[in-house]
Amino acid sequence: MKRYLINAFLLVYLATVVSATLASETNAASATAAKPATQTSHLQANTPKTTGEDVFNSNCGRCHMPPMVISPRITGTVIMHMRARARLSRQDELLLLKYMAP
Amino acid sequence: MSPQWKVLVRLPNAKQHALIASILSLGFTFAQCAAQDTQTPENHAGFVPVISGGAGYIYNVNGGVPTLEPKINPVLLVPFGSHVLLESRTDFTAFFQREDRTTGPYQGKVFKTVDYAQVDWLANTHVIAVAGRYLLPFGMYNERFSAFWIHNLQDAPITFPIGTRTSGSGDGFMLRGVATQHPLYSIQYTAYFSASSNINELQSGRAAGGDTSIFFPRSRFEAGVSYQRFLQSRNINSVATYISWQPPSTSLNILAEGDYSYNGRGYWLEVAYLFQKLPVPSFFRRTQIVGRMQQFYPLNGGGNGLPHVDTNRFDFGLNYYLRDDLRFVSSYGRSFSSQGNANIWNVGFTYRFMFPLWPARKQ
Repeated sequence: MKRYLINAFLLVYLATVVSATLASETNAASATAAKPATQTSHLQANTPKTTGEDVFNSNCGRCHMPPMVISPRITGTVIMHMRARARLSRQDELLLLKYMAP
Repeated sequence: MSPQWKVLVRLPNAKQHALIASILSLGFTFAQCAAQDTQTPENHAGFVPVISGGAGYIYNVNGGVPTLEPKINPVLLVPFGSHVLLESRTDFTAFFQREDRTTGPYQGKVFKTVDYAQVDWLANTHVIAVAGRYLLPFGMYNERFSAFWIHNLQDAPITFPIGTRTSGSGDGFMLRGVATQHPLYSIQYTAYFSASSNINELQSGRAAGGDTSIFFPRSRFEAGVSYQRFLQSRNINSVATYISWQPPSTSLNILAEGDYSYNGRGYWLEVAYLFQKLPVPSFFRRTQIVGRMQQFYPLNGGGNGLPHVDTNRFDFGLNYYLRDDLRFVSSYGRSFSSQGNANIWNVGFTYRFMFPLWPARKQ
């Protein structure tokens, strides 16, 4: 019984950690996408800031003709699909959402 | 009731509680995921289920044998929140050939295949967990260019069967994501395991492998390597290395891949150019020319979908984008081998569609 309880506890702990990680990453990425960073690392300070247009131009045309128009209703779904397919980062996803469905 | 019986009676309860706690915790996790909406004040993106995909018609002549190929590949995308996505692609392609190959009435049948039917959990930047049936991530072609409304030339490279046995898809699980990202470069990875399956429409081979690539967004250059160990009947190692380059100043697209396996080795090099940035009338700016050359050398007799003799082939394509989602495609290729040379012609059109399955909620 103790083994099952320990397993259950570990699962709950894992779920909590994953949720917390997701929440913190969502907030951090949203903040990055929303505002220019006020505190940037030395490495980042030397490179121009990436915009949603940059992400779109450098990634979408690598495999196919980028669509001219996507209905905002489906933009989130389509970008989720493309994020999984093209192995884009969470930050790229948020920048694309901001660019394509402002 | 003796203490021993109490233990026996209580044990299932403990299991049940543990199971319920586990399910609740997992449910809690997914609920959390679903609740975290990607929609922020900076965007108004909707997460409505989508039916997408492509429809097309290709008239193919290979060595004097004509084939009519109408096809439709619906892609279904169903999001659960902004972190979990159910996606699938099914291929319906009909092949019609003349009764005696070159004479007689056309006859044929429709082939249907589930290319992928997978659940993606977009946990974070570094981890996207995939379960179900997925496209085998070997080299560039299968995952990125196998959709007929995407690839520039309608025929797959000769080396396509390397690393994609037995059906191009795997049944199992996969982890993928961005290992590290910097404004100047990013490194992606994929690792997977596929079980053997003989289920109708869901065939797959037992295999494990992975892929990693580095991408430089400023120069739009990517280099990658794939590895697969096929774990069925004979254990076979397959390796692919590839590069992809789209110089930002031009509309050039350069792709190259080299593949090696027990059954053979070969490479293909494809260059496509869209007249988009040329100082020509706008009508011509939608024109794309494509060239591809490839060579293949069988090892250990070839086979498993690969030629048994040395084969060289070049293709030249001319595509015209009527719109970004509708294009006319045409190509001519010639294959050279000791079994005979052949001309290959393709003419047709492809159309990519994308519709919401139902209206979004009103704001």
